[in-house]
Amino acid sequence: MSEAVFRETTAQPRTRSVQLSHLSLELGHLYMEDFEAGPERLRAHFAEVRLWVEAVRASAARRTGGKRPRISTCFLIDDYFTRFSTPAELLPLVLEEAEKAGLAIDYLARESGCAVADRIEIAESVAHRLVESPPPGSNGSRPPVGQTGWLANGRRTPTTERAALGEVRGWQPPEETAARNHSVFMDVELWSEQDGRRLWSCPFLAAVWQLARLGLLRHLGEPVLVPRPWDGAEFPHDWDRLPPLLQLDPRAAAFSAYRTCTLLPNRFLAVEDAVRLILDQTQVDAEALRQVAARSKGEGLEVPDAVAQRATYIFYEDPATGPVSGGR
Amino acid sequence: MTRRPGQPARPALVCGEVRTCLLASFQALDGRAAAGLLRLRADEHVRISERPNLYALSPETLTGVDCRLPTADGSKVRAVGTVAARAALTEGRLLQATAWFSAPAAGPDTRRPWGHYLVRPGVVEPFGRLPEQATAQGVLRGPGRGELDLGAVAEALLARLLRHPLLDRKVPFKSRRTHLRWVARRVPEGERAELTRFTLAEDGLRTVELRLPEDTPAAAAAGLCEDLALHDWLLTTVVHMLESGRFAAADGPVAVQALRPAVDHLLHLWMPHARVERSLVHLWEALEREPGFTRQWQNLVQRIRDQLAVQAIRLPHQALSTN
Repeated sequence: MSEAVFRETTAQPRTRSVQLSHLSLELGHLYMEDFEAGPERLRAHFAEVRLWVEAVRASAARRTGGKRPRISTCFLIDDYFTRFSTPAELLPLVLEEAEKAGLAIDYLARESGCAVADRIEIAESVAHRLVESPPPGSNGSRPPVGQTGWLANGRRTPTTERAALGEVRGWQPPEETAARNHSVFMDVELWSEQDGRRLWSCPFLAAVWQLARLGLLRHLGEPVLVPRPWDGAEFPHDWDRLPPLLQLDPRAAAFSAYRTCTLLPNRFLAVEDAVRLILDQTQVDAEALRQVAARSKGEGLEVPDAVAQRATYIFYEDPATGPVSGGR
Repeated sequence: MTRRPGQPARPALVCGEVRTCLLASFQALDGRAAAGLLRLRADEHVRISERPNLYALSPETLTGVDCRLPTADGSKVRAVGTVAARAALTEGRLLQATAWFSAPAAGPDTRRPWGHYLVRPGVVEPFGRLPEQATAQGVLRGPGRGELDLGAVAEALLARLLRHPLLDRKVPFKSRRTHLRWVARRVPEGERAELTRFTLAEDGLRTVELRLPEDTPAAAAAGLCEDLALHDWLLTTVVHMLESGRFAAADGPVAVQALRPAVDHLLHLWMPHARVERSLVHLWEALEREPGFTRQWQNLVQRIRDQLAVQAIRLPHQALSTN
């Protein structure tokens, strides 16, 4: 068929594609308490991570059939839940300890950038893209029985109520929709309200972070959380002045990738399971999805179908000495 | 079914329902306001087109379903997936919500992880083989208890939009909503698309049966049916207006009042297949031959103009005589 003669740009908006590596490798996802514990904690962390990085690189090379895989590394710092020190003080320490361990950090991100970056409410947009997994019996006639601010992997325990004849029903168990024989039911808090302000939960921001690394975030067709180059100058003295995503090495492979691998101490296992639950119920931009699928197929490295399957993890024993903090 | 994931199964059937109504706003919305109304998601564009008329199209939303498909022969087929829905506003005046899904000829016997369905927006996979004929007839007949309800999804979207603070909820005249249910059976690629039946039922229900080549996107079929529904709504509404105007014909000012909204709000809306995908435009021809949609419209327009002309001749006389 011949091309149309007449075109209106507002009627056929375009979705811009992003450059893609083979793998986005996260070398750490540290919280303020990790930094408070001093440089030894960082040193132990990178020494442990280093071992696994070798394994991940070997695994990526096997996938690319011996061809040198394009791998970019990133590091995430929490400035959302707690604020500690300043970028000027903290970041040189992180980069130094990583370098000592023989690791290069290509991209540095702030966790609050997953909530709002460049005045775009990314977390809010992703929240509007949640499509809850329907329990059996959902026929479209009733919206899913959502609990605002929570997302589950099945049917919750019904609230105790009196049946028609006044008898009180006993406790009923919750039910995982995709259960195999028995349920592993999970209910994830996506946000809470504090002083009229929405506080996004850690798993929710981590899910946004995964989508950014998978090259699947767009705002009105434009990529968001785009890396900014760093000119090598001193880091700012205020977290808000640090770009949400900073490219430290100008020659680094692209930030976003077909797959992600995240290295974390094993106390984060539950959080990342929650991240997968969120990813599994998020409808990402269809055109971005298509672009990634087409490009990966073109390279003979097809991505898994479901978005959550594109993220892998290595959980290692927390090398931290002293009291282990469980929350984040 | 042994199909590599990621390869979309060729849909055997596409089904949908369009609900068409007058926007509950005293003034028609301009392009900006239309975009504001249809912005179902902050991060996605509302498509706005100004030629040949003002038209706004919302992003698509998904509703998860896991239930039985409506079937005419009572066969019980469970299906899981997502129903797509979108809304369109034409000339800031006519609001439409459409819900639709495609179904492959066969699906797996177990429910897969939800992420599998979310990367196939608007696809509902049957457990086992899809009884195509029975499902198509079932959708046209309407859902039974607990069966997949496209109308409910479309209605929920309409209700959501009509609650929008942009709207003053004042209609310039009374009209009725219409529902158009449609099914498209798939024919091999390269064969010509066909409109095999258009049925005008009671209570504002219309049904359309199509045969579409496999490579026609489901959204294009939805677009065609929205166009058919819009023009059918115009015919239905103007016919009704003329009927109520007829009783008032004896009384000049009342007759003018009854017909005036047609002139103010509706006559310029007739524009068949303005945005229908090119490969489907010829389906309109079937309806132009029989019953002749545009022929009827022109006839109605002529009657309205004649009525108003007659009243206009009468009015100055009355005006003179009362002075």
